Amino acid sequence: MTRTAALLLALLASLAALPAFAGPYGLSVAILILYFAYAGQAWNVMMGFAGQLSLGHALYVGVAGYVAGGLFFHYEVPPIVGLPAAVIACTLFGLVIGFLAFRFRISGVYFALLTIAFAEFTRIGFDHLAWTGGPGGMFLKVAQRNTWDLANFRGPPAMYYYAILAMCSLAFVACFFLLRSKAGFYWQAIRENEDAAQALGINVFRWKMAAVAASSAMTSFAGVFFAFYYNNLFPEQIFNISRSIEIILAPVIGGVGTLFGPILGAVVLTGLSEGITESLAALGWEIPGVKQVFYGLVLLGVVMFLPNGIWPFLSRKFKL
Amino acid sequence: MDRRQFTKSAAALAAAASFPGIVAAQAQKLKVGVILPRSGYLGFIGQSCQKGADLAPGVIKELLGVDIELMNADFESNVDTARTRAERLIQEGANALVGAFDSGASTAIAQVAEQRGIPYIVNIAAAPQITEQGYKFVFRNFQTAGDIVRNGLDLIGELFQATNTVPRTAVYMHVNDTFGQAVTKGIQAVLPQRTQLPFKIVDTISYDPAAKDLTVEVSKAKSTNADFLLLVCRLNDAIALRREMVKQRWNPMGVISPGSPGMYEEQYFKSLGKYSEYSISNVPWYNPNAKLTKIVEKAFVKQNPKEKLVFHGLNAGFTFEAILIAADAFKRAKSTDPKTLADAIRQTNITDKMTLGGPIKFNPKGQVEGIGSACVQNLELVPKVVLPTAAAEAKPVFPAPYYKT
Repeated sequence: MTRTAALLLALLASLAALPAFAGPYGLSVAILILYFAYAGQAWNVMMGFAGQLSLGHALYVGVAGYVAGGLFFHYEVPPIVGLPAAVIACTLFGLVIGFLAFRFRISGVYFALLTIAFAEFTRIGFDHLAWTGGPGGMFLKVAQRNTWDLANFRGPPAMYYYAILAMCSLAFVACFFLLRSKAGFYWQAIRENEDAAQALGINVFRWKMAAVAASSAMTSFAGVFFAFYYNNLFPEQIFNISRSIEIILAPVIGGVGTLFGPILGAVVLTGLSEGITESLAALGWEIPGVKQVFYGLVLLGVVMFLPNGIWPFLSRKFKL
Repeated sequence: MDRRQFTKSAAALAAAASFPGIVAAQAQKLKVGVILPRSGYLGFIGQSCQKGADLAPGVIKELLGVDIELMNADFESNVDTARTRAERLIQEGANALVGAFDSGASTAIAQVAEQRGIPYIVNIAAAPQITEQGYKFVFRNFQTAGDIVRNGLDLIGELFQATNTVPRTAVYMHVNDTFGQAVTKGIQAVLPQRTQLPFKIVDTISYDPAAKDLTVEVSKAKSTNADFLLLVCRLNDAIALRREMVKQRWNPMGVISPGSPGMYEEQYFKSLGKYSEYSISNVPWYNPNAKLTKIVEKAFVKQNPKEKLVFHGLNAGFTFEAILIAADAFKRAKSTDPKTLADAIRQTNITDKMTLGGPIKFNPKGQVEGIGSACVQNLELVPKVVLPTAAAEAKPVFPAPYYKT
């Protein structure tokens, strides 16, 4: 067993034991960290692996949340059934965006703008849909349960914690194998030099579409989780560009294109910023907005001193 | 200490250890967790609400003799953070939660409060669903979105009666965001039922909340020749729109909001000066003549010597009252035990209150009914209550003096 694998297993074991000793607050912060790690991992497939910059991933979170949430709210369809519907809807959205962009050779910044545009007009569209509750939002029926009801995704916070931990672990394993698969190598070739990849016979259009489909499908799980954890959805909040930025911050800080980057980035951003807020509160200093300042400083530091992210530096330094 | 004294002390210690509820019941201080958006896009309003919270311990001590300890938390205008902040405050010993201005955040906090069995009093949030979930620990002392629109439109009728005017037409302009859309739907649903209102809407014009230039929209509205402008706005667009009206010399009978922020805020007056005059907002408000308002105003000025309560009235007023509800329940319950406290909140009957409307009494869903709105008109560069008459500080001026038939 390599050092990295041993470290991973130790990390997983300690995370699995966390609910036993972390209080409800610690658990809620851990859920937040894992949520951003998972969503960042999903985004990483598109940008980190295939080199396609999306600034509108909130679109998939929102669409998935609304599809599964709406089915549950209107027809009492349990999320276990709503989830596949959400995955299909998000994949279709992703494929439409990908087709429009790649068919007409839109790439780079223009592709990023297209993803923002889709998120924006979906937000406006959902604002006018009666089925989604419009701008007034959709509030899922809440049932407080101490037992786990996985089919209806209702239960105590520990259930949500283990669900997001499982999602994160599976996403990590899936990305690990994806990176070493034919698709992974093709994506990396496209990321490094699209023209060269095409010259080598890679069907660039097809593999870029595959990356968008995989990323959007993965993100839809995060959307369903969000909807059933928070139980309310507002188009203005869930499709907002700030949500998309939140998703990409973790992998950018941790290391784009790496497996550990999104996880490390989420720990640094959410974990440390919560820690700073807590420490300041313990000292009796109340500084509203300190988290945003911290985000800015970390981003600045990473861009200036570790342009590839924190993980590549750590892995080099400690030979991980 | 002799043997008998030792036995007594040991028995008392054992009893205290066996019945922590008794210790809780003897608590002398109520810890209130206040969760507000003090940074992020709602930061401005969150800080305004915080002013109401900050003065609460002093005023409540004076009024009820109850000690309050505030535990403040900023949820950064982010639903995710609202949930973790609620968890933290409960973990740190908050006996009750108050907040959070935003409906999404309030829903997230409500779930935590219900799960952990800690009373949560919503200060400001209008989504009706918050008190429709069958929660046992969630209470709200604020109007729902439907009530705001209904009360706002009813006050327009009262304004016309009080000023003996009969405007026949209105042009409706609204900011095209979540809030603007929600109010528009409310107006569309309620207006046809209000047959006593003499006017009809001749045109509806929406505009982007980030719009810097409203030339086209204002000229279109002007061209309708409507008697008055019915406006649903936020702060920045309200300023831009009023400036454009002045520039285009459009002087309708008045500008009336059926229930939106913007025109009663300090920045509106600072930016527009004399052009801020006569704008009307029908919103949930405080009673300037209430005894409690005078006490709160005194405390407010003491804490914020350079500011006026009137510019924070809605935010500070409802936040203060939310803490007052918790303190009143604590006084009656004589306990910080969450269930006892929640039961006491359910029995609340506060008649000596700051905001308009009937007494603070919760219905079985945890909602206060009968909260009043006021017709607030900008007069002499401050927002003044002109209706209802019982709370009025001045007489309504409609049509505005600049109106030319």
